[in-house]
Parts: sequence; structure tokens; C-alpha cells
Amino acid sequence: MTSDVMIEAQGLTKRYGAFRALDRVSFQVKKGEVVGFLGPNGAGKSTTMRILTCYQSATAGSATVHGHDVFDEPLEVRSKIGYLPQRAQMYGEMGVLEYLRFVADIRKINVTLFNKRIRNIVEVCGLGTVLGKDLRQLSHGYRQRVGLAQALIHDPPILVLDEPTEGLDPNEKTEVLEYIKQIGRDRTVILSTHNLAEVEEACSRAIIVSKGRVVADGSIDEVRARGGRVRYHVSIDEKNALAGKSAPAVGDVERALATLDGITSAKETPTDDRAHAFSLLGTRSTDLRADIYRLCVERGWVLLEMRRDIQRLEDVFKALTKSDELADRLRAPAAASVADEDEDADDEGDDANADDDDANDEGDADDEGDADDKGDGDAAGANGKEADEDDDDDEGADAPADKSKGKG
Amino acid sequence: MSTTWTIAKREFRSYFDSPVAYVVICLGLAALGLLFFNYRGGFWDANRASLEQMFIQVPRGLSWLVVPVITMRLIAEEKHSGTLELLITLPVRDSEVIFGKFLGAWGLVLVFIAATGLYPILMFGWPWDLGSLDTGPVLSGYLGLALFSAAAVSIGLLISSLTESQVIAFFVTFLVLFMLHIVGSGMTLDMLPPRVEYVVTFISFETRIAGFLRGAIHARDILFFLTVTAGCLTGSFWALERRKWA
Ligand SMILES: Nc1ncnc2c1ncn2[C@@H]1O[C@H](COP(=O)(O)OP(=O)(O)O)[C@@H](O)[C@H]1O
Ligand SMILES: [Mg+2]
Repeated sequence: MTSDVMIEAQGLTKRYGAFRALDRVSFQVKKGEVVGFLGPNGAGKSTTMRILTCYQSATAGSATVHGHDVFDEPLEVRSKIGYLPQRAQMYGEMGVLEYLRFVADIRKINVTLFNKRIRNIVEVCGLGTVLGKDLRQLSHGYRQRVGLAQALIHDPPILVLDEPTEGLDPNEKTEVLEYIKQIGRDRTVILSTHNLAEVEEACSRAIIVSKGRVVADGSIDEVRARGGRVRYHVSIDEKNALAGKSAPAVGDVERALATLDGITSAKETPTDDRAHAFSLLGTRSTDLRADIYRLCVERGWVLLEMRRDIQRLEDVFKALTKSDELADRLRAPAAASVADEDEDADDEGDDANADDDDANDEGDADDEGDADDKGDGDAAGANGKEADEDDDDDEGADAPADKSKGKG
Repeated sequence: MSTTWTIAKREFRSYFDSPVAYVVICLGLAALGLLFFNYRGGFWDANRASLEQMFIQVPRGLSWLVVPVITMRLIAEEKHSGTLELLITLPVRDSEVIFGKFLGAWGLVLVFIAATGLYPILMFGWPWDLGSLDTGPVLSGYLGLALFSAAAVSIGLLISSLTESQVIAFFVTFLVLFMLHIVGSGMTLDMLPPRVEYVVTFISFETRIAGFLRGAIHARDILFFLTVTAGCLTGSFWALERRKWA
């Protein structure tokens, strides 16, 4: 282990009775990285963070933080970490400053140092106006900032933030992300979330977990590339056509686009009633924009818009986690992620909606099914490596499945 | 030690951030006052200048009201509201959390016990100087109260660490302490076979504290209360550790 590995998890497994919340989770976080720990609700993000902060113990596996073992040296580990639990609760009857002082006392920070640090922290976390208030009087957004402040009071080299933006309004989210980016400049940060836009904005690396397993781990670009596909956005005029041709029917357009060589799926996306809009998935190695244009000219359609996007992190995330999640959770996580996207108040919200609906709709099985298969293969590929390394503690039953997937 | 102290201080102060501490202390003292002056003719009819009645009633008041109210929230409320996670993930040992909480709660109970001193001072000092008080039993009585309350608080702490509900913690603590008092009363003793009677006398708070109130300090009584306290603190510690493996 090199000295710039700040967090290292090796084969972390956590069982709650018969239920396996974490299944051989391994990853490393290096000094200075800001890592997004991604996964749908229930994937095991909080469990992992609780193990890293020595709140809970792993059933198997080990982890070190700043070189200290989480099992043997909890106090050393905790003194290196600033931790913001999910939906962090603080003593409501205490004043903000009083609470921060309490945390500082426990962390053995003397008054002079506290006074010096607090000024900066108050500024970074935007706490100036609420210092005198009781915690219970604060809005969720401000409590979250106090949560960040208490995590920073000892100037820790490592920050562990569990869904820091959960339940905040869009403005507050932006602000908190801004704080995190600022804080992350000279610290190692691991932050969990199921909101991908945040990861793309604030993190340099993503670890995606699903049902207690790491399914992808790499820089944002690497993870994005893992999907191996691109998305085309195409809008075609609904009312008009080129001279001599009739206005297109939506079904015709969809069929024509879907059968283009290299397109794996075509799906109508909602727009106003002047255009048919579609979202197409194609492989990354080809560029079909010319083909799409030619098709339009041939049929006499008026092309209003065309855009080619590298697949978004969100697509990869869905591909990697959805089949898993759907298997036993059905609608619940989909509903949660829709709610979350809506708060973002941008066009992604709609998109997510459409996708999620599809997922629960047998009719579209072949387009989603394809994406999922592909995703699974990649997932196992990413996981397979790690699984091979620490198969020694094994539970036989799972291992063969892992390997067969890895090959596929 | 200083981490324990920080936790204890916070716990102690937090009682005064809600009306609970004030209400309990005032109610307790008022109830004691009523008992003192009216129960069976009150203090005034006793033909000796002693605080016997008070020392019999104070432990009951502690067990049946003050201690359950003060200890019910100790761990249960932290678990219920979720503040425990932030506390535990600070660099604190679980044992420091338990001991700090114990000290904070016991501290408040000791304040209450000290406040009962108001009555003897009023009566034997100023303004009603009713004559000289035999200070020996008073001092040993207070020592007994302190030891007894440590045991009672640790029992409450243990129960609070086994549940997430303050209400349950209150009632169970009340019930346990209630039992520990009445098992020693004459009424229950008469109905029991001798061997059980021996056990019952052994664990009864009333018989254990009786010696102190008469001015007789026995090592075995001190040891009893200390053992109960240590045992319950250890139990609370285990209960807190249990979360890791849940
Ligand atoms: N104390 C617990 N007892 C039983 N199951 C639990 C407990 N804590 C978490 N779980 C389960 O473990 C899984 C992972 O939970 P968690 O780590 O909180 O997920 P996330 O933070 O990714 O949403 C969930 O299915 C959850 O229901
Ligand atoms: Mg969580």
C-alpha cells in the first residue's frame, strides 16, 4: 500500500441476518480525490460509510483509513475523518455555535484554535446569520451546513459525506456542492449520492454500487465510456414536409429511425405538438448523423434538430443498476429517482421519467433489455477483477456466477 | 477522561434546555414538602429531631419519578432522533459515551438530592431553629442516597439503551425500580418462603438503604450499590456496542 491511499476497503461484506447489504466491496481512494459513491437507494452506500467511520462493523473484509484499521483503531480513524451522516441529526436544543464548540471539545481543539478556524468555516459554510440560533430552529438546508461545519472543525484530511444534498432545494444543492468543491480542493472526499448530475459536477471519480456490489469504478470519463454507446437527439417537424411529401406520422418516423443500421433503440421523447422528438441509442464507434440526415431528405421530413451526445453518466448508471434493482424492488427506487430528478428542474427530469416508465413496461422489453444485458456484462467485468483478487474468503455459491458474467 | 467529562457536561446542561429538569425538581420537592409536613401527622409530630421520614420518602420519590424521567431519554432518544450516529463517530469510545451520560444524569439527580437539604436547613438552621440535629445519620443518609441514586440511574441508563422509545424506557425503569423497593417491604416478605425472602432482602433497595438512614454504614451495602452500578454500566456499554453487529 502506498502512502497516498487514504481509504482502502477490501472485500467488505455486511450481513443483516440473512440479508447481504454489502457483498465484497473493494475500492481505494487516493489522496486529493473527490469520489462520488453512487448507487440507488438501498445499494449499501450508507452501510459502507458507517463501516468506514467505525459506527458499524463489517461481517467480513477489512478497511483502512489513513493507514489505520477501522476495526482496531477506531479513534485514530475517526480523528482523521470529518463525517456527515445521511440526514444528520444534531442536538436540537443546542445553539449552532454551542454545538460546534461541543464537537471541538470532543476533538480536543483548544479555544484559540477553535476561534481561528471557526471564522473560516462559518464563511465557507455560509453560517454567519444563524450562529446564535438553536439547531431545531434551522431549516434542513442550514442544518446540513452545520453538519458540514462540524465535519470540518478539526481540519480533517478525509471527508465522508453521506448524501449531503438529499432533501435540499435546487439552490441549496448548488451551494452545498459549491462548498464541497471548495473543501475538496485540499482534501480527500468521498460523497455518496444517487444524483448523477452532482457527481459529474463535483467529482473526479465515480464508484457505482448496486445491491451491495461495486459495479463500476473509475474516472467519470472512464465510467461514462463504459456504456460504449452514444445518444442522438432528433426532432422532426410534425406539420410540414418537403415539397411534394406528406407530413410524417410518428410511428413511421420511429420505425424508420429504429431500423437504421447501428441504432439499437429509438424512443419518442415528449415535446410540444409541432415536432416529433426521438432519443436514439447507437454504438460509440460510429457516427450516424449523416445517415439520419439522408433518411430525412429521402422521406422529405423537415429536420429541426439533431444532436449527438456521448452517453451520460445517468445512462451508464441505469444500465448498471437497473436490472439488479428491478429484480426485487420493482417500482420503489424508480419512483424515488424520478422525484429526485424533478427537483433539478431541468430537461433531464423528463428524460429520466420516460426511461423509468419504460423500465416497468413489458412492451419495450427489447430496447431496455438490450441496454441492460450490455450493462451487466460490463458490470461484471469491472467487478470480476476485484472478485478474483479476494475470492479467498469465499462463499462458493456466488463465485461461479461472477466469473461466468465476467466472461460475457 | 476529558471526553467523558465533555459528554457529561453536555448531557447535564441539556436537561436545563427543556422544562423537564425544572418540572421534575419542583414537583419532587413539592411532593416531598407535602409528605414532610402532612404525612402521618407530618414531621412536627415526630418526637425526635431526625430526618427519618424524609430519608424514607426521598428514595421512593427518586425511583418512582425523578430517575425514570431523567434517564429515559439518555440513549433511547439519541437512537430515536438519530443524534447517536454523529456522537459515536466523533473520536469517542463507547465506554466514554456511556460513562459521560451516566455522570450527566447522576449529576442532575445529585442536584435534586442536594435540594432536599433545603428542608433540614429550614428546620434546624434558619428560620425555624428547632433544636440540634443529630448530624451523623444525616450525613450517612446522604451518602446512602448518593450511592443508591447511582445504582438507580445506571439501571435507567441500561433500560434506555435497550430501546428507542423514551416512553417504554420510562415505564420499564419505573417498574423495575418500583419492584426493587416493594420487594423489601414487610408485606411482601411475609408471603415468601425463607430462601426467597433472603434473596429478596438481598436485592431490596429499601433494606439496603435502611442502614445508611440510621447512621450505620456497612461495606456490604456500599458494595451492593457499586456493583449494581458497575454491572448496569457494563450492560449499557454492551447494548451500545450491539449496534455494530446489528
Ligand atoms: N440496521 C439494519 N438492519 C437491517 N437492514 C439494514 C439495516 N441498515 C440497512 N439495512 C439494509 O441494507 C441495505 C443497504 O442500506 P444502506 O446502506 O442504507 O443503503 P443506501 O445508503 O445505499 O441507500 C438496504 O437494503 C437496507 O434496507
Ligand atoms: Mg443511505
